[in-house]
Amino acid sequence: MRTDTLPGIPLITLVGPPNSGKTTLFNTLSGKNYKTANYPGSTVEYYTSRFLAKYNLTAELLDSPGIVSLLPESIDERISIESLYSHPSLGIPDLIVCTVDACQLSRHLLLPKQLIASGFNVIIVVTMDDILAKRGLKISEEKLKKALRCDVVLINGRSKQGIEKLIETISLNLSRNPDKPKNIISPYSYLHNKNELVESFNEIEQIVNTVYEQTNKKEKINLKSANDELNVLNINGNNGFSPDEVTLRIDSILLHRFWGFLIFLVVMGITFTSIFWLAQPLMNLVDELFTNLNTLVINNFEPGWFTYLVSDGVISGTGSVLVFVPQILILFIILGLLEDSGYLARGAMLIDKPLSKIGLNGRSFVPMLSGYACAIPAMIAARTIPNRRERLFTIFIIPLMSCSARLPVYALLIAYLIPQNKVWMGGIVLGGIYFFSMISSIVVAAILNKFTKKLFNAEETSSFILELPAYRIPKLSSVLTNTYNSSKQYILRAGPVILGFSLVLWFLTFFPNVNPQIDKDGLTMGQVQNMERSERLEHSYASGLGKFIEPVMTPLGMDWRIGVSLISAFAAREVFVSSLALTFKVTNENGEDQSTLLNSLRTAKIESSGEKLFTVATSVGLIVFFIFALQCLSTVAVSRKETGGWKIPVLQVLIFTSLAYFMTFVTVNGLRIMGIQ
Amino acid sequence: MRTVADLKIKERGIISEIDISHPSSKRIIEHGFTPGQIIELVYQSLFKDPIAVSIRGTLIALRKSEAHCIKLK
Repeated sequence: MRTDTLPGIPLITLVGPPNSGKTTLFNTLSGKNYKTANYPGSTVEYYTSRFLAKYNLTAELLDSPGIVSLLPESIDERISIESLYSHPSLGIPDLIVCTVDACQLSRHLLLPKQLIASGFNVIIVVTMDDILAKRGLKISEEKLKKALRCDVVLINGRSKQGIEKLIETISLNLSRNPDKPKNIISPYSYLHNKNELVESFNEIEQIVNTVYEQTNKKEKINLKSANDELNVLNINGNNGFSPDEVTLRIDSILLHRFWGFLIFLVVMGITFTSIFWLAQPLMNLVDELFTNLNTLVINNFEPGWFTYLVSDGVISGTGSVLVFVPQILILFIILGLLEDSGYLARGAMLIDKPLSKIGLNGRSFVPMLSGYACAIPAMIAARTIPNRRERLFTIFIIPLMSCSARLPVYALLIAYLIPQNKVWMGGIVLGGIYFFSMISSIVVAAILNKFTKKLFNAEETSSFILELPAYRIPKLSSVLTNTYNSSKQYILRAGPVILGFSLVLWFLTFFPNVNPQIDKDGLTMGQVQNMERSERLEHSYASGLGKFIEPVMTPLGMDWRIGVSLISAFAAREVFVSSLALTFKVTNENGEDQSTLLNSLRTAKIESSGEKLFTVATSVGLIVFFIFALQCLSTVAVSRKETGGWKIPVLQVLIFTSLAYFMTFVTVNGLRIMGIQ
Repeated sequence: MRTVADLKIKERGIISEIDISHPSSKRIIEHGFTPGQIIELVYQSLFKDPIAVSIRGTLIALRKSEAHCIKLK
């Protein structure tokens, strides 16, 4: 039964349909000592926490995925539901607290009814009591309690009303049956099937018919409107309500066929520019901090492999983990606010149609758009896609989005390609690159879509059924908590892998020529360091690897030096530029000085044949390579974490690298055939 | 037979049955689409698909391909 939790500490699992106030309740009850609870086989993590000290209640509280019923169909649903019956490390819950929305009892009571039928010890928490009161109605706790034969507490999650009552009820419930045998619990799906769902709803309607009461305190006007609603409902023979009026009024604009779509594009545009531009100064700050730290170490310690291990390996590696944090923070705050307000679900509806054509879902849009800034936060944002196949597929194609790290590479090659007196052409070419990248990612996604069954082992059909919750003012504190937790998870889980990769790459580019001999006459300290780096790289394992793959590079009109730079660029794409500077021995103090680098590129010759290395064909070819290739170890690390295994990241690297190679080959040789060298 | 996919904007209908051979039928029923319920088409997206319907006091967005399995009286 129980394996992991301390004896005597009861486990309380929080369950509820989406938009029932479950997460708000978890945040209200839980202390700061969050731990993640893994759902085996699932990529999504949930949190456990003890209750806040002020409640004086010792119990482990486990959050769980939002589910509508206990009849699983998809893999993810099965995992969530099986973990509920017996979590592999936490065991069987002693008590289930199930949240339901006061205004949606006729839909939300399905889940607690099934939980009770399974034999669980259940407390039903009716949330958003205040919104119901505004409609001049209330729920009779007593009647609901009698009808379902379990404890019922009414709360208002936002103003924390009713929380004391809930704590009291939980304590009483736990002390009433401290060691109740749990063997009476049996999975609902063993006893029931989907044909009984309609019957369950009929029973719920009978219950719901009796539990709503009119409040007497309300003004006559409110009573009247409540009566109107009830009249309408009575005629229809059900006990729902019409949707929230304010929400309907807002939606008449936001879900307007034309204006709604336009507003959606504007909102997404603002979101995207924020991750792009707001995060940039912060990223530069992180980058600068670690570069300075790096220089500090190099200048103050005896030069040797250990110093460089610390400076170029550990410090730069840590920097490349932390440099993504600003983007993750900003994206998650914005997405959290949009989600909490209820808008994100609408956005997904508006954009679902075009995405469904390539086997994706409206929910894939935000992650894909974020991919144009950076794949790292984008992949993490894909967690909001409920369907497993669509989530994995979205993560799979995110590296095709042309992320901001490719900009320095494009910028260098564009500057090389266009005539110096026609700088304005650069913008057009860059626009063209983005357009080409967008079209090609759609084409690649459409092709990959044919193979998703094989790729992801998921049989699920694409579907889109999404509740559009009533609009509300987002709660910043819970958005910040969620953002903090996501960033922490990124650093703890993906961080070590990124750091490990960085160290391997450092080793390859540093050894075995540790102490290169160079002529130091008349050179400044900075130039000497750059010369040394350049020498070291030229005789490194990475360069050996570059020479080894030269036969592969030759058909592309490239040589081992570009090969080495491409290998180094696995640390991060923008490293390609500084690495080129090193391989071409641009020994200025500022190794990335573009005009000197451009000049050395113009004169560079292929060593074996003496032909010009950077022709128009090879430069365009390199741009094409960067459009398709997955040249980023951090992306690989995050993909592994978010998909729960190595299969998908390995396939991504293989598929996108071969695709990049193929496309570059076609481009370079195509241009040559057309007479463009 | 008419289905929810055939509703015009602001038009209401009463559900007669759910086609349980449809792969999404279970999820549709779980969201409260059951026989006898009143359903109203409230919004359409730019491409007329997905649609947003009101049922049991809640707005739910769903694809037309899914709306096809909700039959109307």
